[in-house]
Amino acid sequence: MAGTAADGAARHGAHKTPGGKMVVVDFRVDDGVLRDVVVSGDFFLYPEEAIEPLTASLEGMPADRSADEMAQAVAAAIPAGAELLGSSPEAVAEAVRRALNPEPEEE
Amino acid sequence: MERAPVAVPDAHDERWLAHTWQVIPGVPRPPAMNIALDEVLTERVGAGLRPPTLRIWGWSAPCVVLGRFQSVRNEVNEDAATENGIAIVRRISGGGAMFIEPEGAITWSIHAPEAMVQGMSFPESYAFFDAWVVDALRALGIDAWYAPLNDITSANGKIGGAAQARRNHAVLHHTTMAYEMNTDLMTRVLRIGKEKLSDKGIRSADKRVGPLRQQTALPRDTIITHMLNQFRERYPAAGGEVSAEELEEAARRVRDRFSTDAWTHLLP
Repeated sequence: MAGTAADGAARHGAHKTPGGKMVVVDFRVDDGVLRDVVVSGDFFLYPEEAIEPLTASLEGMPADRSADEMAQAVAAAIPAGAELLGSSPEAVAEAVRRALNPEPEEE
Repeated sequence: MERAPVAVPDAHDERWLAHTWQVIPGVPRPPAMNIALDEVLTERVGAGLRPPTLRIWGWSAPCVVLGRFQSVRNEVNEDAATENGIAIVRRISGGGAMFIEPEGAITWSIHAPEAMVQGMSFPESYAFFDAWVVDALRALGIDAWYAPLNDITSANGKIGGAAQARRNHAVLHHTTMAYEMNTDLMTRVLRIGKEKLSDKGIRSADKRVGPLRQQTALPRDTIITHMLNQFRERYPAAGGEVSAEELEEAARRVRDRFSTDAWTHLLP
């Protein structure tokens, strides 16, 4: 897929932290914001329920925010004491960036 | 009972020696039942209702076991799984998908009080719980070692991977090792994207793993017996089984949760 997908089309991006784990982000863009966000992957997160606020932090996120801003939003959503292993807020933001700007040779 | 000398200086064997472990041998069970038992036994260890436990898994059917945070459609070709009679279940711990055939894998769970890993980081606790297995494999002449975060690996490729969950002041640490792989079927059922291989420098899934059968002529059951013997020589251990009450509670959770579409497709 090249270029920009139409509004509402399914977006899919993945990023594997070198030596670590994969994070995958699936969503749509409606009216310029991320909708129906699903964050998945083979990372570890303790406690497991922290996946809910982490994912919610990207719901409604304006698609034109910088990767830094998205990473900060994800980091702020991980509750105190929770631990993300093998991935990072920056990796999640990179997966979103790849979903928004797919490289021509990628799926 | 005489115990073997401590083989790994930093293995914190004193933390294992402080308990009499209940060792539960492998009994073939449906995939969702294995998942439910993980949760039930861990909670009961946390509540002081059962001693620290090592449970060998038995499988009554082939399956894909997804990690807690994996998406079904990103990881599994559901049509291929259905065509080949392969169940899809989701476990309570994170980590990656496992393709399981009953005689192709060796899986076990350690259910331990959280105090056993007090002061350890998560990465340290992963290596800690599998140190005895690495030693057991090395005693069989397999040049295995632990590769952080959660892999048992060898010069011939990855042998297995571990995952943990924590419940009620108890730790679940479970590990699966590949014994023999049906790579053809696995690659039809699991989606193994190129992003997953991007920092490995290799193209095909089967080259990333070194199943035990490629590294030893020993049958699967012999390896399991050897592992359990090594465990019993090293740590105080008694026989054991899943109680009727635990089985009943696990069956209830299979019905209400672990066999439901809502749980399996928790992340679509």
